[in-house]
Amino acid sequence: MLTYLLRRVLLMIPTLLGITLVVFSVMVLSPGGISAQTLVEGSDMKPQEKQALMAYYNQRYGLDQPAPIQYLRWLNNVSPIGFTQDAEGDYNGFSFTKGMDLGMSFMYGRPVREILAERIPITLLLNAVTIPLIYLIAIIVGVKAAQDRGGRFDVFSNVSMLALWSVPTMLAGVLLLGFFASVQHFQWFPTAGISSRAAQDMPFLPHLLNGEFVPGFLLDRVWHLVLPVICLSYAGFAGLAKLTRTSVLENLHADYARTARAKGLAEPDVLWRHVFRNSLLPLITVSAGLLPSLLAGSLIVENIFSINGMGQLAVEAVKGRDRELVLSITWISGFLTLIGYLIADFCYTLADPRVSYD
Amino acid sequence: MTKHEVSRESFSRRIWRKTWQGWGVKLGFAWIAVLIFAGVFAPFLANSMPLLMSKDGVISAPVLDYLTKEDVVVLVMFALLVILAGVSWSVGKRLLIFVVGALLATLLVNALLKPPSVVIYDQFRSTVYTEVDWRVMPPITYAPQDYLRDFGDTGLEAPLEASDRTHWMGTEENGADVLSRMIHASRIALSIGLIATGIALVIGVILGGLMGYFSGVVDMLGMRLVEIFESIPTLFLLLTFVAFFGRSLYMMMIIIGVTSWSGYARYIRAEFLKLRQQDYVQAAVAGGLPLSSILFRHMLPNGVAPLLVGVSFGVASAILAEATLSFLGLGLVDAPSWGQMLNQAVKSSMFNWWMAVFPGGAIFLTVFAYNLIGEAFRDAIDPKLSRNAGVNG
Repeated sequence: MLTYLLRRVLLMIPTLLGITLVVFSVMVLSPGGISAQTLVEGSDMKPQEKQALMAYYNQRYGLDQPAPIQYLRWLNNVSPIGFTQDAEGDYNGFSFTKGMDLGMSFMYGRPVREILAERIPITLLLNAVTIPLIYLIAIIVGVKAAQDRGGRFDVFSNVSMLALWSVPTMLAGVLLLGFFASVQHFQWFPTAGISSRAAQDMPFLPHLLNGEFVPGFLLDRVWHLVLPVICLSYAGFAGLAKLTRTSVLENLHADYARTARAKGLAEPDVLWRHVFRNSLLPLITVSAGLLPSLLAGSLIVENIFSINGMGQLAVEAVKGRDRELVLSITWISGFLTLIGYLIADFCYTLADPRVSYD
Repeated sequence: MTKHEVSRESFSRRIWRKTWQGWGVKLGFAWIAVLIFAGVFAPFLANSMPLLMSKDGVISAPVLDYLTKEDVVVLVMFALLVILAGVSWSVGKRLLIFVVGALLATLLVNALLKPPSVVIYDQFRSTVYTEVDWRVMPPITYAPQDYLRDFGDTGLEAPLEASDRTHWMGTEENGADVLSRMIHASRIALSIGLIATGIALVIGVILGGLMGYFSGVVDMLGMRLVEIFESIPTLFLLLTFVAFFGRSLYMMMIIIGVTSWSGYARYIRAEFLKLRQQDYVQAAVAGGLPLSSILFRHMLPNGVAPLLVGVSFGVASAILAEATLSFLGLGLVDAPSWGQMLNQAVKSSMFNWWMAVFPGGAIFLTVFAYNLIGEAFRDAIDPKLSRNAGVNG
């Protein structure tokens, strides 16, 4: 198992390199490409300043050099081991401890690492709330539909789940925002952000202050998350509920389930202790694909609800043609996706002892 | 003992019969038929100019003078389809004739047709076009790019708000009719879905086929490539492509196609890995047939049916991808698109419900239709799965 894990992690390296290579080539091949010339706009700048800035970019990122060398330079900066550079930009040695340098964002003029450190936790929070919710609803609906096979609940849930699955995230977001947050209709939820300005100074838990109710930081945060989380989760649980139903049905009529019933086991015990455990496998397989789809979903949801997470950053970075940011974001989301696959494979062995990787 | 019956029904016919059983799939096809109708005849359904008019005894059809090259090509292709559906040739021959005909039409139209480059929609409301003996107007009397600038205050307007004009679904931010734009946008949605999926299918089948047939090193390298394209969020790669390469409908089709082939490749690979040990494949190899013949004439037909499922889901997701891009403001600039209209629903601080409900509803129905068809295909092709799902038996 350990060797298998190690091999998988090592195989991730060429895949990650491939991802950055694809995205890098897209940027290089594009008309205009990325050169210091395109980065330095500022018509209000003096010619000397402009020249100096261009020289700085060229020296730091090698933008005046051919594309393969630019890519190798970027790779060297990002990888934790590699050649070190001195102040003039000349390579002077090889180090195993130089650390990763994601570079400076052209657009924000700040280190990419800093920007990502601000944005990633927000997206992770959104997804961390969403994933358990998806599984909870999917399992409840799916198991109930399987038990009720052919019945009213089954048919209803089957059609409505397919319908929910087909609702585009942006339509759901726009409708929810429009009806439940705008001033024209029900103004129940906040329209933007993940916490209100006032909540920054509030204590964590809701409490009464001089007989007046103060929502506190926690409740305020939850309030802001309701609509975005609905948008992120409905498609996931709709798809997963159908899968749960199929997989539970398959096992409900299996020989071992009949044996368990013949043995005199109560139906709930058969369902949850025997059938459910065996129905988990397909759910786990899908979970690998869930993480990337949630990341893509955040792109739209964060845009609609003006949440400053990774998704919005990605759109901004791409629109601003910010090479360092774009590369870092692809790199990180690719990494998260691969980790998702790895965790799914690992969970496989936990759920089914027959599966082993050697 | 039940009598054993030999079925003479062909595989494709059986699949088709089983697919056609449910009511959901009929609704799905009905909606797509509506879209195809709207897309093909868009200039005759929603336009500012009369379809037919008689002035001083001279009968003319202004709409024909203003048909764009695209309109004509689409009409010719539709006519070709209708004709070819009626004749009883083999599928390959019909496909070949369709492709050749479409290419020929494109070339001819590009060479011969010279539509006016600038259309001033205002002139159709002038006396030249209104003071006539009689005229036949399209059902929706606004062209998608007819921005109604002469009406002064023309911004977002709720349905049927203006007393002197009829906008069944309101107007968008430049004062153009939403229903008209939606009708013309159905062409974009349909073509992007079909062409992007077609490209993805070709790449996926070729790469997947090679991977499955050769296995070994080719398979290893191919799987890394598949993994790479699966690990980059498609939407993000699309964004990057569009932002760096500029916006054009054809570019978008190619990009969506190029980024979404990995699923088909994975599928064909698995299928071919199973098939390559079969006797008939070995016989074909021993017979010295060329590789393309082995792959595409002998192996592919045996693994192709389940691809239908992937294709219908793929078309749905391609349409969704285009809508998402347009929604994020990276789509086409002036051409009507459902996603771009949806974007206007919350653009100003007001919530314009008609901009969310109608274009959003169209996206939803289209995606839903393709998903319903995909489900039906899956149930028809894989009886074991459908039995488990409680569909039949």
